[in-house]
Amino acid sequence: MNIHQVKQPLVMTRRLEGMGSMPLKVLVGIKGEVTVAMDPVNARLGDWVFTIANSAARTAAGDAKLLTDLTVAGVIDDWRPDNTETANPNT
Amino acid sequence: MKIFQVERTLVSTNRIAEMEHKPLLVVREREGGTPMVAIDPVGCKPGDWVVCVGSSAARDATGVKGFPSDLTIVGIIDHWEG
Repeated sequence: MNIHQVKQPLVMTRRLEGMGSMPLKVLVGIKGEVTVAMDPVNARLGDWVFTIANSAARTAAGDAKLLTDLTVAGVIDDWRPDNTETANPNT
Repeated sequence: MKIFQVERTLVSTNRIAEMEHKPLLVVREREGGTPMVAIDPVGCKPGDWVVCVGSSAARDATGVKGFPSDLTIVGIIDHWEG
Protein backbone atom coordinates (compact mmCIF):
# COMPACT_ATOMS: atom_id res chain seq x y z
CA MET A 1 0.00 0.00 0.00
CA ASN A 2 1.27 3.46 -0.83
CA ILE A 3 1.10 6.63 1.22
CA HIS A 4 -0.42 9.85 -0.15
CA GLN A 5 -1.65 13.23 1.02
CA VAL A 6 -5.22 14.27 0.12
CA LYS A 7 -5.02 17.33 -2.16
CA GLN A 8 -8.64 18.09 -3.06
CA PRO A 9 -12.04 16.48 -3.72
CA LEU A 10 -12.79 15.68 -7.37
CA VAL A 11 -16.24 16.47 -8.77
CA MET A 12 -17.15 14.35 -11.82
CA THR A 13 -20.87 14.45 -12.45
CA ARG A 14 -20.77 12.80 -15.86
CA ARG A 15 -19.29 9.40 -14.99
CA LEU A 16 -19.85 5.82 -15.95
CA GLU A 17 -22.52 3.80 -14.14
CA GLY A 18 -19.83 1.47 -12.80
CA MET A 19 -18.15 4.36 -10.93
CA GLY A 20 -21.01 4.36 -8.42
CA SER A 21 -21.50 7.44 -6.26
CA MET A 22 -18.49 7.21 -3.91
CA PRO A 23 -16.55 10.47 -3.49
CA LEU A 24 -13.30 10.80 -5.45
CA LYS A 25 -10.19 12.46 -4.04
CA VAL A 26 -7.09 13.81 -5.78
CA LEU A 27 -4.02 12.45 -3.96
CA VAL A 28 -0.38 13.54 -4.11
CA GLY A 29 2.18 10.80 -3.48
CA ILE A 30 5.42 11.15 -1.56
CA LYS A 31 7.31 11.59 -4.81
CA GLY A 32 4.73 14.13 -5.99
CA GLU A 33 2.83 11.91 -8.40
CA VAL A 34 -0.86 12.94 -8.69
CA THR A 35 -3.50 10.17 -8.65
CA VAL A 36 -7.26 9.86 -8.15
CA ALA A 37 -8.77 7.40 -5.68
CA MET A 38 -12.18 6.38 -4.41
CA ASP A 39 -12.58 7.42 -0.80
CA PRO A 40 -14.87 5.30 1.44
CA VAL A 41 -13.44 6.80 4.66
CA ASN A 42 -14.05 10.50 3.80
CA ALA A 43 -10.53 11.72 4.45
CA ARG A 44 -10.19 15.49 4.88
CA LEU A 45 -7.93 17.78 2.83
CA GLY A 46 -4.32 17.52 3.92
CA ASP A 47 -4.80 14.15 5.64
CA TRP A 48 -2.08 11.55 5.08
CA VAL A 49 -3.76 8.33 3.92
CA PHE A 50 -2.67 4.90 2.68
CA THR A 51 -4.24 3.42 -0.44
CA ILE A 52 -4.79 -0.04 -1.95
CA ALA A 53 -4.16 -0.57 -5.68
CA ASN A 54 -4.84 -3.23 -8.32
CA SER A 55 -7.70 -5.71 -8.01
CA ALA A 56 -7.85 -5.37 -4.21
CA ALA A 57 -8.95 -1.74 -4.67
CA ARG A 58 -12.36 -2.91 -5.88
CA THR A 59 -12.93 -5.04 -2.76
CA ALA A 60 -11.68 -2.20 -0.59
CA ALA A 61 -14.28 0.09 -2.15
CA GLY A 62 -16.94 -2.26 -0.80
CA ASP A 63 -18.25 -3.70 -4.09
CA ALA A 64 -16.21 -5.71 -6.59
CA LYS A 65 -18.25 -4.25 -9.46
CA LEU A 66 -16.96 -0.70 -8.80
CA LEU A 67 -14.57 0.54 -11.46
CA THR A 68 -11.52 1.55 -9.43
CA ASP A 69 -7.87 0.61 -9.32
CA LEU A 70 -7.01 2.79 -6.30
CA THR A 71 -8.99 3.14 -3.07
CA VAL A 72 -8.23 5.03 0.14
CA ALA A 73 -7.94 2.36 2.85
CA GLY A 74 -7.50 4.57 5.89
CA VAL A 75 -6.27 7.83 7.38
CA ILE A 76 -2.88 7.54 9.08
CA ASP A 77 -3.14 8.77 12.70
CA ASP A 78 0.25 10.42 12.83
CA TRP A 79 2.51 10.73 9.83
CA ARG A 80 5.60 12.95 9.68
CA PRO A 81 6.98 13.09 6.12
CA ASP A 82 10.79 12.61 6.13
CA ASN A 83 11.95 15.58 4.12
CA THR A 84 9.00 16.87 2.13
CA GLU A 85 8.15 20.50 2.72
CA THR A 86 4.36 19.80 2.48
CA ALA A 87 4.08 19.02 6.18
CA ASN A 88 0.65 17.97 7.48
CA PRO A 89 -1.09 21.34 8.10
CA ASN A 90 -3.10 20.15 11.09
CA THR A 91 -0.23 18.80 13.18
CA MET B 1 8.58 -10.36 -4.73
CA LYS B 2 10.76 -7.67 -3.22
CA ILE B 3 12.97 -7.29 -0.16
CA PHE B 4 12.01 -4.60 2.37
CA GLN B 5 13.17 -3.52 5.83
CA VAL B 6 10.52 -3.04 8.52
CA GLU B 7 10.56 0.51 9.95
CA ARG B 8 7.67 0.71 12.40
CA THR B 9 4.01 -0.07 13.06
CA LEU B 10 1.43 2.08 11.26
CA VAL B 11 -1.66 3.12 13.27
CA SER B 12 -4.84 4.01 11.38
CA THR B 13 -7.96 4.20 13.50
CA ASN B 14 -10.18 5.60 10.75
CA ARG B 15 -9.94 2.85 8.14
CA ILE B 16 -12.23 0.69 6.02
CA ALA B 17 -13.99 -2.18 7.78
CA GLU B 18 -12.80 -4.71 5.22
CA MET B 19 -9.26 -4.39 6.67
CA GLU B 20 -10.45 -5.90 9.97
CA HIS B 21 -7.63 -5.73 12.57
CA LYS B 22 -4.68 -6.95 10.55
CA PRO B 23 -1.42 -5.30 11.73
CA LEU B 24 0.12 -2.77 9.33
CA LEU B 25 3.85 -2.03 9.10
CA VAL B 26 5.77 0.79 7.39
CA VAL B 27 8.47 -0.81 5.18
CA ARG B 28 11.22 0.61 2.97
CA GLU B 29 13.29 -1.05 0.21
CA ARG B 30 16.40 0.73 1.51
CA GLU B 31 17.37 3.59 3.81
CA GLY B 32 15.66 6.72 2.56
CA GLY B 33 13.58 4.74 0.05
CA THR B 34 9.88 5.45 -0.43
CA PRO B 35 7.94 4.25 2.64
CA MET B 36 5.17 1.77 1.85
CA VAL B 37 2.59 -0.02 3.98
CA ALA B 38 2.40 -3.82 4.21
CA ILE B 39 0.07 -6.25 6.01
CA ASP B 40 2.04 -8.36 8.52
CA PRO B 41 0.69 -11.90 9.09
CA VAL B 42 4.16 -13.10 10.19
CA GLY B 43 4.82 -10.92 13.23
CA CYS B 44 7.91 -8.85 12.52
CA LYS B 45 9.77 -6.29 14.63
CA PRO B 46 11.35 -3.05 13.43
CA GLY B 47 14.67 -3.63 11.69
CA ASP B 48 13.75 -7.05 10.29
CA TRP B 49 14.55 -7.68 6.62
CA VAL B 50 11.46 -9.30 5.04
CA VAL B 51 10.12 -10.45 1.65
CA CYS B 52 6.82 -8.91 0.48
CA VAL B 53 4.48 -10.17 -2.24
CA GLY B 54 2.31 -7.83 -4.33
CA SER B 55 -0.67 -7.75 -6.68
CA SER B 56 -3.32 -10.45 -6.35
CA ALA B 57 -1.13 -12.88 -4.36
CA ALA B 58 -0.93 -10.27 -1.60
CA ARG B 59 -4.66 -10.71 -1.01
CA ASP B 60 -4.56 -14.42 -0.17
CA ALA B 61 -1.21 -14.15 1.65
CA THR B 62 -3.01 -12.34 4.49
CA GLY B 63 -4.81 -15.58 5.40
CA VAL B 64 -8.22 -14.21 4.43
CA LYS B 65 -9.21 -15.08 0.84
CA GLY B 66 -9.72 -11.91 -1.21
CA PHE B 67 -8.53 -9.56 1.57
CA PRO B 68 -8.01 -6.00 0.26
CA SER B 69 -4.20 -5.79 0.26
CA ASP B 70 -1.67 -5.15 -2.50
CA LEU B 71 1.47 -5.69 -0.36
CA THR B 72 1.81 -8.46 2.24
CA ILE B 73 4.85 -9.75 4.16
CA VAL B 74 5.45 -13.45 3.49
CA GLY B 75 8.57 -14.10 5.56
CA ILE B 76 11.55 -12.82 7.52
CA ILE B 77 14.98 -13.28 5.93
CA ASP B 78 17.51 -15.02 8.21
CA HIS B 79 20.62 -13.18 7.01
CA TRP B 80 20.54 -10.03 4.87
CA GLU B 81 22.58 -6.87 4.96
CA GLY B 82 20.79 -4.06 3.05
